Amino acid sequence: MNKTPMNPTATNKAVHKPFFLWRHLNKLRWVSLTIVFTMLVLIPFLHVYQTYLAAHTYDLLSGSEKQIYNSMEWLSSPFVTDPEDQLDALKGNTWSGTFGSLQLSDPLAVLGHLVSSQTFYWPFILTALIPVILTVFFGRFFCGWICPATFLYELNSNLGILLRKSGLHIGNRRFDRRLKYLVLAIGLAIAVATGSAAFAAIYPPAIIGREIYYAIALGGFGSGVVFFLLTLLFDLLLSRRGFCRYICPGGALYSLLGRFRLLRIKRIVESCNDCAKCTAVCEFGLDPLHDHFGQECNNCSACIAVCPTEAMTFYLSPQDIANQGPGHLGRQYKQQNTAFNPAEKMAGEN
Amino acid sequence: MKRRDFIKSIGLTSAAGSLGLPATAAALTFGGTAPPRYLRPPGALPEEAFESTCIRCGQCGEVCPNRCIQFFDLENGTASFGTPYIIPRDQACILCMKCGDICPTNAIVPIERLMEPILEQVKMGKAVVDENLCLSFQGKTCGVCYRACPLQDVAIRTGLLEQPHVLDDCVGCGLCERSCIQLPQAIRIIPNYTHA
Repeated sequence: MNKTPMNPTATNKAVHKPFFLWRHLNKLRWVSLTIVFTMLVLIPFLHVYQTYLAAHTYDLLSGSEKQIYNSMEWLSSPFVTDPEDQLDALKGNTWSGTFGSLQLSDPLAVLGHLVSSQTFYWPFILTALIPVILTVFFGRFFCGWICPATFLYELNSNLGILLRKSGLHIGNRRFDRRLKYLVLAIGLAIAVATGSAAFAAIYPPAIIGREIYYAIALGGFGSGVVFFLLTLLFDLLLSRRGFCRYICPGGALYSLLGRFRLLRIKRIVESCNDCAKCTAVCEFGLDPLHDHFGQECNNCSACIAVCPTEAMTFYLSPQDIANQGPGHLGRQYKQQNTAFNPAEKMAGEN
Repeated sequence: MKRRDFIKSIGLTSAAGSLGLPATAAALTFGGTAPPRYLRPPGALPEEAFESTCIRCGQCGEVCPNRCIQFFDLENGTASFGTPYIIPRDQACILCMKCGDICPTNAIVPIERLMEPILEQVKMGKAVVDENLCLSFQGKTCGVCYRACPLQDVAIRTGLLEQPHVLDDCVGCGLCERSCIQLPQAIRIIPNYTHA
């Protein structure tokens, strides 16, 4: 049943159109990123509210503390009757978090814990089960849809575009994408050698989860925020989204897990006009125009949203399709196919 | 480490080295400044196992109703970066045992909030009274530490003039140290961990 749209000899009306909502998924992704980030800010505030409750201390609070108390009471009262206990159901961050009776952890946290403690503690290993299963189906979706660092890195990358438009020459270096697998391997080696969780110190989502809590509940950022600011500067001035593309060990692990992901994006070559907006917009520096997605595509759907001819769509397959050549609406394809004999084609090209 | 401290440590190291004390020298250079006297949350594994098991998710701190759990930055070395600790004089543990319940990796073992399991499994430290500082030992009846203790007559008992006597069952929650009205405090928790 898939053959009709895939067949290049089919007439124009048989060209497959992507489902209309997929163009809008990128907005949904921003909603998702914003919700996660907001939760990371709210959870520490809710914790502070809980501590005020536990201390029965409303009358002794300062003005700003009363504001926290009142706003958190307003926010949580529709959902809980006994906030002091029931708000314990919502704790943690994307590195490892608790949602009611469900605990979820980053697969990198579990892997790091396995090698540093060298014990199999099944209850903790199972907390990564749902993320791993989702990654096997959807690939590196965490990086595009959940990661609180992505939220800041993408805003940072938009800032980079503004800087470029205002005439600043900021770098856009490219490195070898395989560097991050090396970082993952070195991190694992360090974790084995020192018996300490090395990834938590350099993994941006873990840093952000921790540092937001430190800043709100403990009254100040730690040194992790310095590291994160350095990565922001690296991304902004040296290499666009460089940390996620070339260094992030979590991204490396997700890419490996999502290597044979089922949900992929493909180019509908019949309606592609070679405009290359997809390649320009791709945060991870992939090349959708030449069908190079690979294991590192995070299904963020930015290329679907930006495509002017509706030539990008989702499909289910464990592997990418090979390069389909120039888009059928593009000049290159038309030149190739209007040429009746090789001699004329050569002449046309000259 | 500040530059002055660094220079001082170099000086001390060379002095110790010249005196033929290589172990002292190593401790001075790699330990940096002396580690602060801190407690781990109740039910935490022994120090080295704790450092390798904790994933630094921070949930123990987020669930602590007393906000006594703080987190190390780099001041205690890289190995304990991001791990939870308690300074009892700042804010002491109330033995609510919520941190053990939420810890995903069992770095803090879950313990039931009952007398028996707490006495058996919580080994944060042990209180020690400085009789030269303690008001009760100076003839002024106080007894605040005894009244602050969640395990009265099990962990601490009072004698003549409310003089505190710490018993062997003390788990080291630090509420006595937190509540001591003397400055500096006359009762302190000596942590149980054997690391560093």
